[in-house]
Amino acid sequence: MNSTVTSNPALAGSLRRAQPLLGTLVEVGLHDASRIDRSVVAAAFDAAFDAVREVSRCLSRFDAESDIARFHAAAAGSSIRVRPTTRQVLAAATELQRATRGAFDISLGTGPDQWQLEGSGLHKSSAAVRLDLGGIGKGHAVDCAVAALIGCGIESGWVNAGGDLRAFGAAPLPIVLRDEHRGGTRPFATLQGGAFATSHFDRLSRSHLVAAAPTRSASRAHVSVVAGLCVWADALTKVVALSGDAAHPLLARYGAQAWLH
Amino acid sequence: MRLVLAATALSAAAVPVSAFAVDYLSAEQAAKLMFPDADAFEARTVTLNAAQLQQLDAQGVRARSAAWPVRVAKRGGEALGYVVTDAVIGKVELIDYAVGIALDGTVKQVEVLAYRESHGFEIRLPAWRQQFVGKGSTAAIKVGDDIANISGATLSCGHVTDGVRRIVAVVSAARRGGGLA
Repeated sequence: MNSTVTSNPALAGSLRRAQPLLGTLVEVGLHDASRIDRSVVAAAFDAAFDAVREVSRCLSRFDAESDIARFHAAAAGSSIRVRPTTRQVLAAATELQRATRGAFDISLGTGPDQWQLEGSGLHKSSAAVRLDLGGIGKGHAVDCAVAALIGCGIESGWVNAGGDLRAFGAAPLPIVLRDEHRGGTRPFATLQGGAFATSHFDRLSRSHLVAAAPTRSASRAHVSVVAGLCVWADALTKVVALSGDAAHPLLARYGAQAWLH
Repeated sequence: MRLVLAATALSAAAVPVSAFAVDYLSAEQAAKLMFPDADAFEARTVTLNAAQLQQLDAQGVRARSAAWPVRVAKRGGEALGYVVTDAVIGKVELIDYAVGIALDGTVKQVEVLAYRESHGFEIRLPAWRQQFVGKGSTAAIKVGDDIANISGATLSCGHVTDGVRRIVAVVSAARRGGGLA
């Protein structure tokens, strides 16, 4: 969550914009922007931010029209229709829940087996179950925004939603990490064509995962994951944090790699 | 996918970076983005009188200043909407942002103009709620209410949500009082 893209000569010639979305700052960057037609640049930024807004409209717990809010309002025993975006994220969450034998749980303990995807419907088995896609939705939103940029003909760029980021195209993207304990940042890596996410877990962090996470020293309170898609990078930081295992067997399935640091 | 770790990537001794700043847009660029059909932006200063300031206070909005520069987006002399820029200061960061307000008083767009952090850079501002869009001054924009605080009240959430709320209220008060055509 606290990884970011730094000001760097490698980004000279890029154009970036940022909007407050998904409860964080979402930045969209285009490499070599001077070579892109102006109207394409404007359309690409709009399409990327619109894609993030669409994910937000589907998943936000605080928007009464969202699929998640409608699910919460639905009666136990009923099913609601969900939009394709919601379905995609819930399918990914189901996959991770199974693969981690329930450790990855978007119901946060309110009823891991009390919701089921059924075709384009979402079934609610008990009144108490509530879903929170905070651990995976942002990554999916980044993927949607990247798809929108590529759809507009952008060859190289990045999207960064509060530290869940993905780079695409030939240009390498420098990434720095912020140190949550001591402040300041340090260079971490350069990323070309992939996704990167970092989460910070310790007794001071507000993450709901803390209680379940194994104790570890403060100097190893960050989890970073690189993967092909941001939805996996985002979600797998939680899997690694929960298990304390940077070599978790699930990482290989998604071509991912993790670091505790 | 190719990731190359920096030499200091996993080092326990963090190498602090003095400051971080990104400039995204100038105020003029943001205004043109928000109102692409405008052929002119008229610079105005909205001055709230004591009664208006009291009214805002009663709404729970601290106007912070009686005088607010406002860009009025116009086309053929007709107003299309308003753009107000502001800066909020958090624990370690300063964020310049612009709010575009439609003629009906609702938020049309929020764009970040610049982000600066006094030590290090963190792009994670947890409680910036996305849906400023469509919030009028009668909707309560505050953390935990209709713009919800997702991950905890850290960094700029309160400052930014307060900032947008303040701007919506100031523009609304100025229009009611005839201070904005």
